[in-house]
Amino acid sequence: MSYTLIGRIQSRLLSALPALLVALGIHRWWAIELVALMLAVGLALDVLVYHRALAYQPGWLALPLGLLELAIVYAAMRELTIAAPLRGALGLYALAWISAQVFAHAVLPRLRLEYAEAGGEPGRLGALTAVAVALTVVGGLGGAYAVRPPTVHLHGTVQGPLVIRHAETLVGGVVKGGIDIRADHVTLRKVTVVGGTYGVNVEHAQHVMLDRVRVLHFTLDAVRAVDAGVMVKDCSVTAPAGPLTTGVLISYSMGRPMSMVSGCTIVGVREGISTHSSMVDVMDNHVVGTSVRGISLSEMSMDRASGNVVESANGIGIVCMDHSMCEIEHNTVAGAKVDGNGDPSRHGVAIEAYFYAEATVAKNTVIASPGGVAAFDQSTIER
Amino acid sequence: MASARCAIVGSGLAALATYTTLRHGGVAPEEIVVFGTHADPTSVWARRAASIRQQHMRSESDGHLAAAAFPGLAVREAARRISVRPLLQTVTNRYRPTVDAFLADAERLRSTSGWERSFVERRIARVRAVDGGFQLDGEGSFAHVLIATGHPGLARVPGAVHAYEPHEYAARVAIVGAGMAAATEWLNALAAGSEVVSIRRREPLRRPLNLPREYFSKRGLESFHRLAPPQRAVALHELSTPSYPPGAAWDEPIDRALRQGRLRIVGRSSDDAQSTAWAEQVISATGFTAGFAADPLLADLVAEHALATHDRWIVLDSDSTVPDLTDDVRTLSLAGVAGQWAFPASDTIAGAKYAARAFLRRVCRTR
Repeated sequence: MSYTLIGRIQSRLLSALPALLVALGIHRWWAIELVALMLAVGLALDVLVYHRALAYQPGWLALPLGLLELAIVYAAMRELTIAAPLRGALGLYALAWISAQVFAHAVLPRLRLEYAEAGGEPGRLGALTAVAVALTVVGGLGGAYAVRPPTVHLHGTVQGPLVIRHAETLVGGVVKGGIDIRADHVTLRKVTVVGGTYGVNVEHAQHVMLDRVRVLHFTLDAVRAVDAGVMVKDCSVTAPAGPLTTGVLISYSMGRPMSMVSGCTIVGVREGISTHSSMVDVMDNHVVGTSVRGISLSEMSMDRASGNVVESANGIGIVCMDHSMCEIEHNTVAGAKVDGNGDPSRHGVAIEAYFYAEATVAKNTVIASPGGVAAFDQSTIER
Repeated sequence: MASARCAIVGSGLAALATYTTLRHGGVAPEEIVVFGTHADPTSVWARRAASIRQQHMRSESDGHLAAAAFPGLAVREAARRISVRPLLQTVTNRYRPTVDAFLADAERLRSTSGWERSFVERRIARVRAVDGGFQLDGEGSFAHVLIATGHPGLARVPGAVHAYEPHEYAARVAIVGAGMAAATEWLNALAAGSEVVSIRRREPLRRPLNLPREYFSKRGLESFHRLAPPQRAVALHELSTPSYPPGAAWDEPIDRALRQGRLRIVGRSSDDAQSTAWAEQVISATGFTAGFAADPLLADLVAEHALATHDRWIVLDSDSTVPDLTDDVRTLSLAGVAGQWAFPASDTIAGAKYAARAFLRRVCRTR
């Protein structure tokens, strides 16, 4: 197809219609924000790159261009901290891409006979629909902006514990004594939490985002989430104030949206990341020097651990346990140490399935861990 | 015929494309009359294709005569064969429907569109503008007329058989021309065991379609339509350079024959007479006579109504209508090769549809 610039823009807006309807239908701001982001990236590329570079666009080019746009949208999504679950975001993107193909090759040529020879311009009705799509997206974003949670900037040190009972965004500062989150749609960004039994404690809440949060000197858990859906991104957990500490603990959250722990650095705790009866994506974290387990996916959880680096864990690097089902891929476990109590399941095992657990492992790197990859107590490991 | 508003003069591929487009737009068979000499709109074209033993179309998946581009021939073939191969070929621009598939699809359209109800076997020799429409050789007055009489005739070389006429191949063959038909004939003659001399005035271009792809859409057409008449005529002359598609299917047998000395290439000069004397058979793959003056109906129309022309073309609006004879209540459109002033690739299926869609827009507007 040899698109005109107007044809490119109107066709893109029109073919976003299914994704936009889904986004509106599921009542999630992230979905509307994501559709807007996809359109913004696509339209920018249309104007600045595609129109100049592609006098004629063969059908096969839709695939590499789609992957290019996916990469840009994903990077922008992370940069703008759009709190979208990865699978949902990919699903919405896939829907938009497939819609674009179906619209360009089937729907629009059926609706307007001249579609191809008009350079992809869908005609008056199509143009009106495209404008409606654009207005809906802008209106949706405006609505999201209008009802967005208030942002509170902390300066200096605040004596806690703080209890958050309404949706809000808390930015910066140091909070002593911990933060309790009891409301949905709460975001902590670049907050340092010092002390407290729990650094950040999230209960009965979802769409909670902890972005670049630092926690230290806590006595039990740096981040604790119970019956919650949380995204913990690029956190730092160091200097625990006791021997029974956990870096990030997510428990009993099966009824909540999937949680995610990514890009965190956790040092010197008893368990680095621990899940119980939850669905959690644990990815790209760096866990160092744990005294019991590096990453523990347990109690009938359905979790995925990928791209993590676990160093110098005592006993076990990564474990899938207690009737859990886990995907453990692309992780690196180095220097898992023998516990010394004679228990073979703690004999410096890099990756382990324990007590009726089912683990699927693939493409992990195991270095200097004498227990290797092993299953115990009626568990299975599928490679 | 009394209720007919639309007339199509001509009964070839462009006529069928126009007819299916009008029908798609909701125009009833009783509102359309097709005047032509062949009840089967594919017969003339099919005879030419058979003469050069053409197996595949040069056009792609959307090179069919239905009004809407989707579903194209690749989709239909994929469904028929339960295979994704045609779809993969079409997204990589490698799909070329077979002539048989194209003809079968044309027959499906002819038989389901109501063509027989509108067809009148009659050669129209004169079109005259009258109040509110056009008089067609005493067949009545029509508000909207599309002329699709096709190529006016074969461009012949004296003493040669034309490629588009049935023929076999002698042991020594000279083939005049350098376009798609000529390239097809080189391969045909070589496959028949002949020695071949290709006589050509200029080197053929290699491109998948008759014209660069941007000329099939508004993106390229807008700048073409902005050209002043002299520049537009120059552009049309340049675009008429003979061409055939790139690809190993063409190159390998040609290169092999050149290496073996079974194929020689000579320019049209003094070598010309020597080559034709050497040959037992001369095949003229030189296409068609060009220009409105070679078509008696168009020549008469121009003379009678003093229509604007430039070089060998009738000057048309960008929607393929004759501006001097088209207004709010009547339409005179030219489709096929006569429509090149509006659409350079007008003698292709895409060109036929371009004129047909514009014609439908005008018919619907005045309904």
